[in-house]
Amino acid sequence: MRRRLLACILMLAVLGIGPAAAAFTEPMAVIKAPIDEVIELLNDPQYKEAGTEQAQRNAIWQIVRPMFDFEEISRRAVARNWNRFTDAEKKAFVDVFAQFLGNTYIDKIQGEYHNEKIVYLGQEILQEVYAEVKTQIVRETVEIPVNYRMRKYEEGQWRVYDIIVEGVSLVKNYRTQFASILKKKRPSQLIDQLNEKLTEQNQRLVGSGQD
Amino acid sequence: MAEKWIPAGRPPRWCVMLRALTMLIVLLTGSVAFAGSLGEEASEPPAGDEPAMAEASDPFDPFDQGGEDVFEDEDEASQAVADPMEGFNRAMFTVNDKLYFWVLKPAASGYRFVVPTPVRSSVKNFFFNLLGPVRFVNCLFQGKWRAAEGEFCRFTVNTTVGMLGFFDPAKDNPKMNPHEEDFGQTLGYYAIGNGCYIVWPLFGPSTLRDTVGGVGDWALNPFSFMKLVNVDAGALTSDTTNVAMYCVRTVNDVSFRIGDYEALKNAALDPYEAFRNAYIQNRNSKIAQ
Repeated sequence: MRRRLLACILMLAVLGIGPAAAAFTEPMAVIKAPIDEVIELLNDPQYKEAGTEQAQRNAIWQIVRPMFDFEEISRRAVARNWNRFTDAEKKAFVDVFAQFLGNTYIDKIQGEYHNEKIVYLGQEILQEVYAEVKTQIVRETVEIPVNYRMRKYEEGQWRVYDIIVEGVSLVKNYRTQFASILKKKRPSQLIDQLNEKLTEQNQRLVGSGQD
Repeated sequence: MAEKWIPAGRPPRWCVMLRALTMLIVLLTGSVAFAGSLGEEASEPPAGDEPAMAEASDPFDPFDQGGEDVFEDEDEASQAVADPMEGFNRAMFTVNDKLYFWVLKPAASGYRFVVPTPVRSSVKNFFFNLLGPVRFVNCLFQGKWRAAEGEFCRFTVNTTVGMLGFFDPAKDNPKMNPHEEDFGQTLGYYAIGNGCYIVWPLFGPSTLRDTVGGVGDWALNPFSFMKLVNVDAGALTSDTTNVAMYCVRTVNDVSFRIGDYEALKNAALDPYEAFRNAYIQNRNSKIAQ
């Protein structure tokens, strides 16, 4: 009897909280909506014509950018060296790193999208503000596990702070690279180096767009 | 995910015996013991994952077991690998890079263009099935009974119904699709460290531990096993067949992944370091599964 009462209370609690919780978007939905949009863009015949690559890239960037918390990504990737950055350097770094990551990965999906399917396997929430959304990219018969780690912000918005592809954390991969660069160089030099990479990348993208 | 907790159970005597056996093998291959002492502390994470109570603003990641703070050294320690041969390794990295762009990529692209996807999938399935016994044995070595059972069932089903493994009728049964185990992972499971990082020409990134593991797996693969125990299966056990099969498998596998190497390389500031770290992270995550 007592158990049933408890169940009723629980039900009420769930029902009562339900609508309120729905106002905040579930982590998986935060991933799925933009990815669906991007796939739609990649299949859009409007962008199949020559000379539309740049426009498509910009459109994808507009959709994808809000998904990520680039400040958090930068802070985690630079880790303990972050304290050595001045405020201006922090800002410059976040800017260039975000563009660099955006370019690299949009270039990859734009150049090589072959009807890969995304399977959403599930999500795990820890301490209410951390979530991991597990997905799989299915390409022909190859399955590539991709997990998105997210944090919830005060406004109730979930944003990605790390991507784990086949067990490899993007943030940690950059962390080792940045750490060894910052062992010998100043933060401003790392920013310069990223800027150089970015320019190089842009030139290559423009070059490939022309032929 | 649930897999992770299976080895925690301590089933009876013969599990212990198997472990003892594995340890014996490990001890016999003296180099591994050396690897263990050379390598950093065992990267095996603590069993419980109680996230450290960090400030919300700290870059700490509760999904990493042990929940360490990035401002401490622990995190880097688990991913760090000794690299005393960095000069040689970097040279080999360049050699492999050239081999990829000059030989492997053109071969795989051409192959992909000529051979239709269903055929490539079947070839992939065939080789995957052929190596089923290797994975099965490594599941046993690690006491992962349920995974071993899955491997065994898949091998049986795919070899028969799946016509020698060219088809994969077991695909949609999650029980028959456990995590893939290899001997390097088995050694890692028993807390053997990486030793040092080695980039082999042709074979790519590895570590001392995983190289020993690779040799073990090679010995377990059906054809080399037949050869080792002196079964003469004619052409099947010849060196030419072995090499040819390795080449076909590699080209076929790469044909599904053209562009992935380039992407990771372009995304890196120091590709050598990026691949080294990615290799270690990937292996750590597989050992943890």
